[in-house]
Amino acid sequence: MKTENYDTVIVGGGISGLMAAIDLTRKGKRVAVVSKGDPVCCLSTGCIDILKGVDSPMESICDLPENHPYHLVGTGGIDRAAGLFLSVMEEAGLSYVGNTAQNRYILSPGGTRKQTALVPESMAHGDMEENETLNVITFKGMKDFFPGYVTAKFKNAEVYEFDPGIGSTLGIATKFDDPVFREAFVSWFKSQGISGGKIAMPAVLGTKPRVFGELARELDRKIFEIPTLPPSIPGLRMFKALKTCLQDSGVDLYWGRAVKSVEKDDDAIEAVTLAGMGRSTRIEGRSFILATGSFVSGGLYARQDGVVKESVFDLPAHVPGNRESWFGHNFFETGHGIEKAGIRVNKWFQPEDTGIPNLFVCGSILAFSETMKYGCGHGMAIATGVAAAEKCEEYLA
Amino acid sequence: MIKTDVIIIGGGSTGCGIARDLALRGIAHHLIEKGDFAAGATGACHGLLHSGGRYAVSDPEAAKECIRENMILRKIGEKCVEQTGGLFVRLAGDSRRYRDRFLESCDAVGIDTELLSAGKAMDLVPKLNPSLEEAVRVPDCSIDPFRLCMLNAITSKNRGGVFHRHHEVFEFIKEKGRLAGVRARDRFTGEVLELRARVIINASGAWGKKIANLAGHDLPMTLSKGSLVITNHRLTNLVINRLRPPSNGDIIVPNEAVCLAGTTSISVDNPDNLVVGADEVDIVTREAGRMIPEFNSTRLIRAYTGVRPLLLAEGDATDDRSVSRGFRIINHQDGMYSILGGKLSTYRLMAEKMVDTVLKEVFEKTVPCQTADLPLEGQEYLSGYPLSKRLRDMKDIICECELVTRKDVESVIDRIGTKSIGDIQHRTRLGMGPCQGGFCTYRALGIIQEKGKITCDESMGALREFLQKRFRGIRPALWGDQLREEQLVEGIYLNIMNMEQQ
Repeated sequence: MKTENYDTVIVGGGISGLMAAIDLTRKGKRVAVVSKGDPVCCLSTGCIDILKGVDSPMESICDLPENHPYHLVGTGGIDRAAGLFLSVMEEAGLSYVGNTAQNRYILSPGGTRKQTALVPESMAHGDMEENETLNVITFKGMKDFFPGYVTAKFKNAEVYEFDPGIGSTLGIATKFDDPVFREAFVSWFKSQGISGGKIAMPAVLGTKPRVFGELARELDRKIFEIPTLPPSIPGLRMFKALKTCLQDSGVDLYWGRAVKSVEKDDDAIEAVTLAGMGRSTRIEGRSFILATGSFVSGGLYARQDGVVKESVFDLPAHVPGNRESWFGHNFFETGHGIEKAGIRVNKWFQPEDTGIPNLFVCGSILAFSETMKYGCGHGMAIATGVAAAEKCEEYLA
Repeated sequence: MIKTDVIIIGGGSTGCGIARDLALRGIAHHLIEKGDFAAGATGACHGLLHSGGRYAVSDPEAAKECIRENMILRKIGEKCVEQTGGLFVRLAGDSRRYRDRFLESCDAVGIDTELLSAGKAMDLVPKLNPSLEEAVRVPDCSIDPFRLCMLNAITSKNRGGVFHRHHEVFEFIKEKGRLAGVRARDRFTGEVLELRARVIINASGAWGKKIANLAGHDLPMTLSKGSLVITNHRLTNLVINRLRPPSNGDIIVPNEAVCLAGTTSISVDNPDNLVVGADEVDIVTREAGRMIPEFNSTRLIRAYTGVRPLLLAEGDATDDRSVSRGFRIINHQDGMYSILGGKLSTYRLMAEKMVDTVLKEVFEKTVPCQTADLPLEGQEYLSGYPLSKRLRDMKDIICECELVTRKDVESVIDRIGTKSIGDIQHRTRLGMGPCQGGFCTYRALGIIQEKGKITCDESMGALREFLQKRFRGIRPALWGDQLREEQLVEGIYLNIMNMEQQ
């Protein structure tokens, strides 16, 4: 069995783990990232929500409950993380707009104004008031976008349908990567005689960065994307930009590999062994970062008997009461008890009550993060990812 | 004001069965249902077409009715009955004497049985608990109660029967000391419908007492809540029963791609707004897990509860399961009849007796019943099991779990002009699989809206209503992978779609 050795081994290939990896790599550390598969952010809007329901996320962080992980990062840390994220995206040719001081709005596929902070350039024009004129371009046979849900809220809305010859979100987006297809689309668009107002399209305008920019130039109108039901192309673009950044800096990525066993030396974690198709790889690390996410990505697992398990290191997980108390009765109300479940950490992001000195935890697996309730999922991911990396670096020094 | 011969209150299996029977005997009728088809006990049962085995020891009369009706329904309802066969499994510790009594009783009422060794039983159902003692094979079947109601309704409608769904009866019209009709309110528009008839049949199941009270009568009935769970796999191809006196969680029924298990039995006073308790889910999975151990590790996709309307026996009844599962027809002597008790498996027989009674006593004539001889109409549009039959036209799949295509959805909309997601679900099984409509309902409502059947606002409203209803069913089974999926669905609708309560 092959053994590799790293300064830091990051388990979890979502935004949080990737941001931690980028931060450590830029500080000269030898880093590996292990991921079971592509992360949950590929299903998200691609926007970075920092804190919803407020005008300024930065000014309102202090109002969060005192055990919220944002307090461990602090506003300065959130800003540093956002800055790093924006520069990585810029380098990838996937520009974002917005900042941490002021929330902005995009148009949701439900026709409502959705609050968020950092927004891909392709959604920059998505802040629409109900009395504005909206033109929606829809794609024939597309099954995860129906313009009716969007236009219901608008008094002046027109819908135009283009036939891309394929119905899946990824299929249409891949077609947009092709300049010949784009040319056909542009000439169809110009023949429609679409009058004033902004032009919205489901988020399928290319899987690659820069496709949107080119299309916007050719169409010469204020166009923007509306996020779709999963799979989400803007989420995928963001994930690919982060991953490419790491690949370009020579970070070892163990993709499609799950941690099979963990070795400890006294209290410290020494190595993890990865399962693979007929082969195992043992990876030694001086330090480890756990960024496996919450339930959806499988970082946490809730059992019928009311116990919540952490999947990789079997860390003690905080459980908010018995099973009956995990969920309220109203689907449309966030803040279900189960959102508080996760790993409790000290101010160095080390798991409480374990005595493990070289493990740092970040992202939505952190207890009390309540990402649905506070609309802080990706914001928490980048902020705690970078903050945990900083603590890890201090430890390595 | 509408005049007809018979008003039926209740669109469960009994009411729909009565409508079909009346139609085949040429009697005009209207049916009023406060919700959708099969919204009460009919739609919230196992979907088990009993062989009668379960009642053979305790209630031979009911067992005899079951086996007779079982043979009739598998003949007339090919597309809504799956002839699975069933097993009664005896586990370590279950009485052997009970097994002997069971075999004798089945024999006495005419239920074919075959005693199987543990090995033979495992050959039929490989996931059975390997420590079982033996099993008895019986002719149980799985039945789709939604389709059953729908198909009965089609025969009625083909012959002039009228169905008023989503109409709630709020008043009886009384004239000269008799009940001359009813007033019902459309639950969507609030409009009042006035119906008059020569006779009113109260077939509202668990709501029977409420309806009777409204007319100034009482009914000797009691309500018992039974909760069930659905797994995301078909863990058995045969119905599995526990070979012991009826108890909690001792039935598992395969239904298309999933499995249902239940039930519990808890006395309740009110048939509305019931919830499934976490403890009930634990009881059912534990007991089902004794027969099929994989039940303990398989993902549950939903839990639901229904109310059995049971006949109150003479004297005191302490255990709900000892209360008779037979049925009774009561003539209130003022133009109304109530039919109460019974079970899904004998719905046709109940309808036959009910119609015989009103024909004789009200219409003073006899017309022979044909419901046992003629196949249910409208089955040509149904796909039936197995799922692989649907693989022929795989293009443009809208519901990945149940392989329902855009064409399937569009053809239901075109054929019956529906604007209700429930109508599409019951006809195509859209949304009945592991994701429980989490992905496809958005699409199906989008298609209904594209076809101009509902406005954009209505599609959003219907989606909200659906998501809340879905959550109600899923909530009691939220742990493991189902919890994962639920949080993903929350992410989609509350975060991406931004549908959170403002």
